[in-house]
Amino acid sequence: MCWFSFSLQKDADHAVVIAVTSRAVFGSGADDDEVYGEGLAFPLLQALQRVNEHLLMNNPAELLLFDIVLLTTDSQQQQQSPRIISSTRHYGLEVGRFCFSSEEDFVENLLKNNVQLFLSTDRNEASQATQRGVLSALLDHQTASCPSEQLKVLFFGDAVIQPDTGPTPPSRQAARSFSAQLGEMQRRFTMSDSPLSIGLVTWRGGRDSCADALHTLRSRGVRVDEAYCLAEAPWGPILSVFRPHFLLSDGFGGLEG
Amino acid sequence: MVTMSLDPVQLMSGQVSELKVASSSNGNSRGLWEEKEEFDREHLGLPAKPKPPKPENAVTIAVSSRVLFRTEREQKVFEQKGVEEYLRYQIEHENEPFAPGPAFPFVKALETVNARLRDLYPQSEELFDIVLVTYNHAHVGIRLINTINHHNLFIERFCMTGGSSPIGYLKAWQTNLYLSADADKVREALAEGIAAATMFMSEKITEVSEYQLRVAFDGDAVLFSDESERIFKAHGLDKFFEHERENEDTLLDHGPLKGFLEVLGKLQKKFYAKGQRLDCPIRTYLVTARSAASSGIRALKTLRAWGLEIDEALFLAGAPKGPMLEKIRPHIFFDDQMFHVEGAAEMGTIAAHVPYGIAQNHNPKQNASVGK
Repeated sequence: MCWFSFSLQKDADHAVVIAVTSRAVFGSGADDDEVYGEGLAFPLLQALQRVNEHLLMNNPAELLLFDIVLLTTDSQQQQQSPRIISSTRHYGLEVGRFCFSSEEDFVENLLKNNVQLFLSTDRNEASQATQRGVLSALLDHQTASCPSEQLKVLFFGDAVIQPDTGPTPPSRQAARSFSAQLGEMQRRFTMSDSPLSIGLVTWRGGRDSCADALHTLRSRGVRVDEAYCLAEAPWGPILSVFRPHFLLSDGFGGLEG
Repeated sequence: MVTMSLDPVQLMSGQVSELKVASSSNGNSRGLWEEKEEFDREHLGLPAKPKPPKPENAVTIAVSSRVLFRTEREQKVFEQKGVEEYLRYQIEHENEPFAPGPAFPFVKALETVNARLRDLYPQSEELFDIVLVTYNHAHVGIRLINTINHHNLFIERFCMTGGSSPIGYLKAWQTNLYLSADADKVREALAEGIAAATMFMSEKITEVSEYQLRVAFDGDAVLFSDESERIFKAHGLDKFFEHERENEDTLLDHGPLKGFLEVLGKLQKKFYAKGQRLDCPIRTYLVTARSAASSGIRALKTLRAWGLEIDEALFLAGAPKGPMLEKIRPHIFFDDQMFHVEGAAEMGTIAAHVPYGIAQNHNPKQNASVGK
């Protein structure tokens, strides 16, 4: 079941639909009677909104915008649905749709709403969505929560370059079209005023793997701002310095099994 | 399918060890990836490509793109036409490799040492690990990788930070030496306790050895602290001599490059242990304006107390360093005074400036070499 916020509707043909769980945005408890406290993904949502603001500043008729769906699967939060809606209003979050589903059929909801990226703090949820072909990213304390002027996306290159053996899995198709759309958004800006920052990190393999990943992303129209080729050196510093809001592993391999 | 699911979230939360196959009996853990790659290479008749050592085991040398390669033309485009044009230019010329820069001979020499170390100690990870650390934008990445391939350099790790500071990575990878063209970045690294120096492109470069890595160090404010230089600058030569004489048995404090000399010494000992003292592929030099008979004694005593060996100590008693360096032909010479760096470069020596200590407050063109 989804409730639409009429005034915030985006053009269905051009918008990039991103679903985030309310558990990720607001945490799992109510901090006071009226309004939820800020959760892990709160800065992420604000960063998505800032991208929209910049896009509209450049072109008030812009149709390529993020369309945010707030998905509630947590039954406790579902009982508090008015509080969810009033909380988003309280914080000025621009949520186009509020969807309420059970854990069993939330993926159906994602598919019906043409969700192009699903963000959750729950590994099972993310995995289920991936298996049904929805590009997903798992949020945790090392991502999502950095307040930042830019939306920061980190591509995990090892998955980007995996060789194609057999038919393309639907989640990989989803990854390709999502990254192409990010690239399209980037092209609306020059380098010095971009609200988007895109990074690439490769862990396995050496420089040739990284070169392959750079070529692949370029072929999708994505402009990579920062690149890190680790050759199995520690991950930690990359995350703590780049502070991605989410990590895209191409929706393939990582979250399955 | 454990090894295939390099789940980035698992990696992020430090569970990488779960993905690796259990250690083999000689203590090195070999993941299935490594064995698969070797199989592939053997299958194709290629020699197995060595894997880069773990940062904590290796001597990590971080170099920026502007010192490893020559990028003056591109720099000009950036300065005159701005970043967008600069990136467009880089992409247009992506298949044209850059020419070698001032740090190139040094990096080649490090690889020579690695080859010798691998011969003697095939299982050891105590090697030089050369990483490219650049403020450059990732757009230049493909051109840099093409260039590394063209020159057949063994660089498998790099950071292209797109403008933000790489200091976090330098620290995490336990960088033993950072070479950059930008003095501000070098100063930032020094402030974080990382040995660092600024390099410059010079038109004249004399040939250096392909078989032996030669590293030359100034003494004060490079290997040692700048305490004695301060005395000299504040009170003059006589006071300096007096101070050194009185404190002959007091150790000098350490300077920013002491640690680097130390790791070079550790690698040298690995060659000595295999009976290769005479043709050791690493040789170190002290080139100081101190004089052998007087102020030099304190320097030698300090080195000895630190347990550091230096192969040749040259006490110039204030004479110019250029001619001596021209004879040594080091792959890199570290000095805290631009006057000496420039003097060395004029004679074709590859010199690097360590912007540390009291000498930085003075005009570099001042003659500061009179009898230290």
